[in-house]
Amino acid sequence: MTRRTRLNPLTWLAAAGSTAAVTTAAASWQLSVAVIAACLGLSLAGGTARRVLPAAAAVLVPFGLSLLVLHGLFFPEGRTVLAEWGPARVTAEGLEFAGQRILLLAAVVMALLLFSFSISVPDLVAALSARGVQGRFAFVLASTLTLLPAIAARAQRIRHAQESRGLVVTRSLVSRVGAFRLQAVPLVLSLIEDAGTRAAAVEARGLSSPGPRTSYREVPDSSLQRTARAVLVLLAVAAVVLRLVQAGAGG
Amino acid sequence: MVTSGPQNKGNTGSDSNAPAAVLAAGIRHFTFHDGHVPALRDVAVSFPAGSFTAILGASGSGKSTLGRLLAGWLPPGGHGALSGFLELSGTRLEFDGGPGDPRINPAEWGRQVGFVPQDPTTVLSTVRATVAEELAFGLENAGMERGAMVAAVERTAGLLGLRSKLGQDPARLSGGQLRRLAIGCAIIAGPPVLVMDEPFASLDAAGTAELAALVRDLLDGGTAVVVLSQTVDPLLTEAGTWVVLSDGTVTASGPPAGLESSSGALPAAIRRPGPTQAAARALPQAAGIEPGPPALQLRNVSFGYPEAPARGKRKRKSAQAGQPNHPALVLRDVDLTVHQGEIVAVTGPNGAGKSTLLRHFNGLLRPSSGSVAVGGVDIAGAPVGRTAASVGLLFQQPRDQLFERTVLREVSFGLDHLVGPAAAKDRAAEALRKVGLAAAAEDHPAELPASAQRLLALATVLARRPAVLALDEPTVALDGDGLAVLDAAVRWAAAEGGAVVLVTHDLGYARSAAHRILALDGGRLVPA
Repeated sequence: MTRRTRLNPLTWLAAAGSTAAVTTAAASWQLSVAVIAACLGLSLAGGTARRVLPAAAAVLVPFGLSLLVLHGLFFPEGRTVLAEWGPARVTAEGLEFAGQRILLLAAVVMALLLFSFSISVPDLVAALSARGVQGRFAFVLASTLTLLPAIAARAQRIRHAQESRGLVVTRSLVSRVGAFRLQAVPLVLSLIEDAGTRAAAVEARGLSSPGPRTSYREVPDSSLQRTARAVLVLLAVAAVVLRLVQAGAGG
Repeated sequence: MVTSGPQNKGNTGSDSNAPAAVLAAGIRHFTFHDGHVPALRDVAVSFPAGSFTAILGASGSGKSTLGRLLAGWLPPGGHGALSGFLELSGTRLEFDGGPGDPRINPAEWGRQVGFVPQDPTTVLSTVRATVAEELAFGLENAGMERGAMVAAVERTAGLLGLRSKLGQDPARLSGGQLRRLAIGCAIIAGPPVLVMDEPFASLDAAGTAELAALVRDLLDGGTAVVVLSQTVDPLLTEAGTWVVLSDGTVTASGPPAGLESSSGALPAAIRRPGPTQAAARALPQAAGIEPGPPALQLRNVSFGYPEAPARGKRKRKSAQAGQPNHPALVLRDVDLTVHQGEIVAVTGPNGAGKSTLLRHFNGLLRPSSGSVAVGGVDIAGAPVGRTAASVGLLFQQPRDQLFERTVLREVSFGLDHLVGPAAAKDRAAEALRKVGLAAAAEDHPAELPASAQRLLALATVLARRPAVLALDEPTVALDGDGLAVLDAAVRWAAAEGGAVVLVTHDLGYARSAAHRILALDGGRLVPA
């Protein structure tokens, strides 16, 4: 097996969590923009941009629009009125506030998505198990993270079976939606049935047995990464504390 | 003889002075919560250390239920009520189906009893990225030290011919390789009892020989081996005891020699690969080639799977680092012409690409280069659903093929589009009758025994009366009765002018049914 030096998933987790905490605590649009740019750069360099960006858009577009409507139109502290319809006023301050919030949200979402698309799920599970996290919990986490690909694979198998019996699926949206309608019920039923059998299998293989467990998979780690994780966590805690102190001092 | 109780240690348990059993069961009756009649009744079995027992029975005889009960995969109280006892390593648990019943700890039980279920995919934890990690899953949970774990994985993979697959994603193994992996997962921790449900299904000759050697090794090491089967595989003649199961109860038991000689001890539905079937003999001849374009023609078809969907760039890079940039070809310049009325068998070892070849016939897979024509028409660009009118594909795993709520709905799916609602009803009924499932029309496909599931899948293909019938390992999971139905259906389809291509590792069946046998070897199709 070829194995490049790679980051420990916990280092990724610490980096993403700390970035999210510091960015939120700092609430500075410059920092948010810098984080977004860094995440973009990292996801492009890491080859995950094609999955990170659509997922980020799916979260950010609806949230961004609602923030824009909420703060852009109804911002009580707004003084510079740009337009007005009855009770709704578009103010420069409101737009600025909405913009800042959107950037902050984008930074946090990008950092977390970059994390979830960059780590290797088996590595994360192995790293957690090695730290004494319950086998059952690690299994549930791993199953959750691998759920979408598993469902997609099962849906594809059902579609293949149906196509082999004359279901014509073309590229048109109507055709695809129609095909999905036929697949949905068998998909859910087969997933439930599958879960039952699999439960028996993993239980018999000692998933819930108490006591320490080991990991076959070796997860890369180094003293440098361990130090980096400690620093990142401290940084996040410091940022939050500082923010709370400032808020307390400011009334 | 199959009784339990504290007796002295010995070898096979076929004598009246039977040795102490590692695992034993005395089942007065076991009834599923949603069942009306007991799935098992009056079954008493015991397995001493180092004994080899074959539990033989046709599909639906209760074999799998018994296997899962013995293996702790069907804990009494969970899905059904047991009246009787289970005994493991001297500890006897009495059940009467009430709330006061003892509870089985599946992990404790699993440490003592390894189990290979009929469908090997159900063993996979699905959260492990490689075959090696999947093998190690049980050892990790037991907290085995890593060095020992690596050694155990290497050793087990070597025993099962999986060494070259250790770094591969389990989801991408072939049917036979999955079976090997499932056996590996069951034996890696060295349980004192190994229960295997139809372990020979979908194994090629090499896999069967490896399994036989493995079983002998385990027996020498003192493991009690229990094989549940509907086929009297040659290995099973070495068993100390045969237990014949029929309609959920034991109808005969004893040493194989006695049972083989006494007429009627084995139900007709139990398959026996007889010498006539296995011996080389002249292949049947096709009725004569019809004029017109061949029913199916593959020209220079090559195909390689794209790299596994990567979880991030790291994987793609590491894959590229170790291998040349293009994917390995599974099929290389395959030429195949099948005429109407012709039955062609394609054989080859597990993982040779047999299923991959069949999936090209209706366009589920598209060749990287070359062409596929059905009835003289190139199917490139035609949706699978349209080609399906001419090509019927029987999948290797019935559970990949069956998705409806009832048997009738299953076989009717897509038929009304093909022939109109009125004719669809007749076609569905006729197909079910042909495979002997007319009485099960309202049953749930998932609740049918494995052989019936396979026949139902076959019925869904037959009902469409395709010009080309592509069958992927059709004999797997069929009992003797099922095999007769399959055989009749294949011959009928060919007699009606259909072209039949079946891929199988079962050379005996291929010889008895096919006009022509080809082998898939290194991606190329050559005469066998």
